[in-house]
Amino acid sequence: MKRLLFGSAVAGAVLLPFVPLGLWAFSLRWYYPDLLPEQWGLRAWAYVFGTAGTQLTEALVQSVMVAAVTAILSVAGGVPAGRALGLYHFRGKDLLSMVLMLPILVPPLCVAMGLHLWLLRMGLAATFGGVVLIHLTACLPYAVFVMWGVFSNYNLEFEDQARSLGASSIKVVFQVMIPLTFPGIVVAALFSFLLSWSQYLSTLIIGGGKIITLPILLFALMGSGDRPVAAAVSIVFVIPALAALAVSARYLGSRRMLGVW
Amino acid sequence: MGILTLSKLAIAYGGETVIHGFNLEVAEGELVSLLGPSGAGKTTILKTVAGLLAPACGDIRIDGRSVLGLPPEKRNAVMVFQKPLLFPFMNVAQNIGFGLRMQGAARTETRNRIRDILELTRLTGLEGRKVHEISGGQQQRVALARALVLKPAILLLDEPLSNLDANLRQQMRELIQDIQAETRVTTLLVTHDQSEALTISHRIGLLLGGRLRQVGTPQDLFHRPIDREVAEFFGGCNFITGRIRGGAFGCELGSFPAPDVKANGQPLTATIRPEDILVGIDSDYPIPGRVRKASFEGAAIRLWVDCGDVPLVVLTPHSGLTPGQPVRLRLPAEKIRIFPPSSLPNPPRKGEGDPD
Repeated sequence: MKRLLFGSAVAGAVLLPFVPLGLWAFSLRWYYPDLLPEQWGLRAWAYVFGTAGTQLTEALVQSVMVAAVTAILSVAGGVPAGRALGLYHFRGKDLLSMVLMLPILVPPLCVAMGLHLWLLRMGLAATFGGVVLIHLTACLPYAVFVMWGVFSNYNLEFEDQARSLGASSIKVVFQVMIPLTFPGIVVAALFSFLLSWSQYLSTLIIGGGKIITLPILLFALMGSGDRPVAAAVSIVFVIPALAALAVSARYLGSRRMLGVW
Repeated sequence: MGILTLSKLAIAYGGETVIHGFNLEVAEGELVSLLGPSGAGKTTILKTVAGLLAPACGDIRIDGRSVLGLPPEKRNAVMVFQKPLLFPFMNVAQNIGFGLRMQGAARTETRNRIRDILELTRLTGLEGRKVHEISGGQQQRVALARALVLKPAILLLDEPLSNLDANLRQQMRELIQDIQAETRVTTLLVTHDQSEALTISHRIGLLLGGRLRQVGTPQDLFHRPIDREVAEFFGGCNFITGRIRGGAFGCELGSFPAPDVKANGQPLTATIRPEDILVGIDSDYPIPGRVRKASFEGAAIRLWVDCGDVPLVVLTPHSGLTPGQPVRLRLPAEKIRIFPPSSLPNPPRKGEGDPD
């Protein structure tokens, strides 16, 4: 009974905000102070999949590509950095953690504006690589912090044991360290993916209108004031994010992380 | 094959030398225990043999070949840690097969060897279980099986029983003895528990203050300690000073024949185990004393007896002795162990800090 209540409360808190979104997306006319739309219809969806279909598909692909590459690079940098921070003591560790915190503390507008100049000089402005780089300034610190936490609870004796059982140092990385920290790696990748997925301002500044991700398109449609269409695009926007969450859900708070020691 | 030779080994840890001049040879098929208080550097020695730490100097040879240049995975000396350290992302059989997979062994051979080792370690039927679904004793056995399946030249066991409760400990101790007898794998075991070392080992090396103090059979160490500290480690608490005169050891408690001791005149220390002192009433028991304290220890009573100026501790099955009561004691001459002259006076050892 208690569990059921808790479950429905959580489900309600997650799903309730989507109710007005769904209503808007399937409405034709909805004016204040009516509780429900006056007229229902699929105009918004016809627009999204018909008129704006190609545009939307391209933006969706672009967003997935940017977010996936950002997530992979974040993890690739986050795992070794998190291991160093979590397991070893070295000079300048405090300074390093503060530097890592900076992109989170400094407003993204400042970061993007400041780096824009550099990316222009390097010829990376308005390119896919440039957008990934600017997303990394936000995502990489998160991945490092997640992996730092994971490695603070990591028992190095597992690696010694594996070495003694005949694993070379390369095999220890791929057969022991990565499987042991896999739930953490999934969480770090998910964080990075979602963070990159929702980037608007930095994509706008660095992408310079050449790299159109879903949020860029969404804001454009919002600006036009067509609420049913904006609601429909919002739903399209949120589905891949929810899918990413669902895929990684079995690793969140996973007990598989606990070894026997 | 499996002969382990450690010669003049010194190991530094955190800038401090914790092990000095360590020499030990473990013969093929032998089970040798390294016994010592916690923090004596026992695990450090095992890790050094396994190749996980590098010694400051000295040599480690397996079957006569130096293995100092070899990485841990090529040493053929497999270490089993104090904690089971089972990989949580693998089931029991996969854990046991880990080392074979690293070697790239053929699938059928792997399967057969896992099956055999499961039987040997009495784990048959658990191969498909997840590692957190089995009991602590079973986990420890999986850890042992994971090492044994590789048929290593040298098996290194780090406190294999310390994580188990008393009942399981006895079972595991017997299992290790049985398996060792059956596979005849050369084993170096580390423990801080003297009773464990005494029951399980062919030979014991006692490690005190970073040095190997005495190596010998369990009987040697228990009954013939070479100095006071070794005796104290095994629970010896009666130390009597005296001198050899005319083939007998003379001290405050009387004169005891000691024909084998070659010394003349200089002060010596002798010891006798508390359970070897006999308590009685008549003149067969020549030493009078008075009970200072008595405590019940289950199978025996521990008495603190003052015999003149010499305090003695006695373990006796006689009950009913209370503090203040007079008693008579006899010290059988054959049970008295006189330390060789070099051990007295105990020289203060410089630069030998406790490596805790």
